[in-house]
Amino acid sequence: MKNWKLKEIVVLSALSVVFAVVYLAFLPVGKLLSGLFGPIGYDFIFGIWFIVSIIAAYILRRPGAAFLSETIAATIEVLLGNASGPLLIVTGMVQGLGAESAFALTRYRSYHLSVLMLAGIMAAVFSFIWGYFQSGYAALSGGYVAAMLIIRMISGALISGVFGKAVADGLARTGVLSSFALGRELRKKRAS
Amino acid sequence: MFLHTLNPAMKACTVVGLVFVLACLFDPVTPLVFTLFTITVTLVFGRFRKRVYALYLSAFTLFAFGMLWTTIAFADTPSQPEETIPLAGFLFPKEDVLTALALSFRVMAFAALSLLFVFTTNMVHFILSLIQQLKLPPKLAYGLMAGYRFLPMMKEEFDQIRAAHRIRGVTEANSIKGRFKQLKRYAIPLLAGAVRKAERTAAAMESKGFTGERTRTYYRPMKITGRDWVFPLVMFAVLGVLIVLSFQLDYFRWYNGQF
Repeated sequence: MKNWKLKEIVVLSALSVVFAVVYLAFLPVGKLLSGLFGPIGYDFIFGIWFIVSIIAAYILRRPGAAFLSETIAATIEVLLGNASGPLLIVTGMVQGLGAESAFALTRYRSYHLSVLMLAGIMAAVFSFIWGYFQSGYAALSGGYVAAMLIIRMISGALISGVFGKAVADGLARTGVLSSFALGRELRKKRAS
Repeated sequence: MFLHTLNPAMKACTVVGLVFVLACLFDPVTPLVFTLFTITVTLVFGRFRKRVYALYLSAFTLFAFGMLWTTIAFADTPSQPEETIPLAGFLFPKEDVLTALALSFRVMAFAALSLLFVFTTNMVHFILSLIQQLKLPPKLAYGLMAGYRFLPMMKEEFDQIRAAHRIRGVTEANSIKGRFKQLKRYAIPLLAGAVRKAERTAAAMESKGFTGERTRTYYRPMKITGRDWVFPLVMFAVLGVLIVLSFQLDYFRWYNGQF
C-alpha cells in the first residue's frame, strides 16, 4: 500500500464504485435467469461480478489491486442495500483473492489476455468453493453442481477476462489512463 | 439513540461475528428467532424512517422466499425420502423443506443484521472509525471516501452523456444487440469521466498537504468506551442462549455434510 500513489487509490475506488452499481444492476438479471433455469441461471452471467478485479489489476498492475477493488465494490454493494448482507463482503474478498491468485502466479509481470482469462476462471473457482458452503450448493444434486461450476468458469473467462480487457483497452484509447500502467504501455507500443 | 452513537467499528465487527456464527447453524428455528430479535432491537434503539426500513425488509423477505422455493425445487435426493410434508398440494421430502427453511431464515437474519448496520451508521464516521480503531491505512481510507463521493454524481454524468448522444442524433436502441452496443457507448465515457475526476481529486488532496501518513490528527476522534461493549455482549449472549435452547429442545443441527 505504501508505494501506491494516491491517485491510483482514488481511481481504484472510483472504479469500484462504478462497478458496484453495475453489479447491483445485474442482480435482477441473474434473478430472472435463475427463475427460468434454477440456481444455475446466475452462473451464465457470473463473470460480470468479477469484472472490476480484472479491470483494476489490468489498468493499475499492482499487487492487491484485484483483491482491493472487488472487496470495495462488494462493501459498497452492501452499503447500497443487498440481501446477502455483510457476508457479501467476504464473498467479494474470496472472489478478489481468486483473481489475485492468477496475477500472483505470474508474479505480477504478465497481463496478457490468457492471464486475465485465468484470473476470471480462478475467481469463479474460488467463489464456487465459497458458495458451496455458504449458499448451500451441497443441498443440490451432484451433476447439477458440476454443471454450475463449469458454466461459471466459462463465464468468468469470457465476461470478466475477455470483456473486461476490452473495456479497459477502450478506456486506455481515450487517453485518460496515460499516467497509469496500462496507458504507459499503450504509449510505448504506439511509439515503437 | 443508542445504536447511532455506538462506535461504528465495534458495531461492524459484532455484525460480522454474528453472521459467521449464524452461517454455521443449520436449523430453521434459531435464525428465525434471532431475525425477529434483531428487527426488534433495530426498531427500538434506532431512529430512522420506518417506512424505508419496512420497504427494504419486505424486498429481502421476497428474496428469501424465492430462495426457499428454488432450494426445494432443485434439492438433492434426500436420505430419508419416506418422511414427507404436504405443501401447496404436493408432497415434499421433510429433509429438503427443513434445509430450505433454514437457508431462507438465515438469509433473513443476515439481511436484518445488515439493515441494522446500514440504517444506524454514518458512512464517514464508519470510515473514520476503521482508520482509528481497525488501523486501516489513511491513504486507502481517504481515497475510498473520495471515491464514494462520486456515487451520487454518476447518475448526473450518465444523464449528461445520454443527452449529448441524443443531441448529436444517436437514437436510443430497442433491439438486444443495439442495447449492448449502447451499453458500450455509455460505459467508456462514464468510466473515463470517473478516472479524470479521480485524478483531479487526488491532485487536490495532495496539493492541500495530504500525505497519507498515520501520524495525522483527526477533526473527529472516534473512541471505544465502556458502553460500546454492551451491544456485542447482548447480541452474542442472546444468540448463545438461542443455541443452548435449540440444543435442549433438540432441533439443533450443526452442519456436517448430512445432505
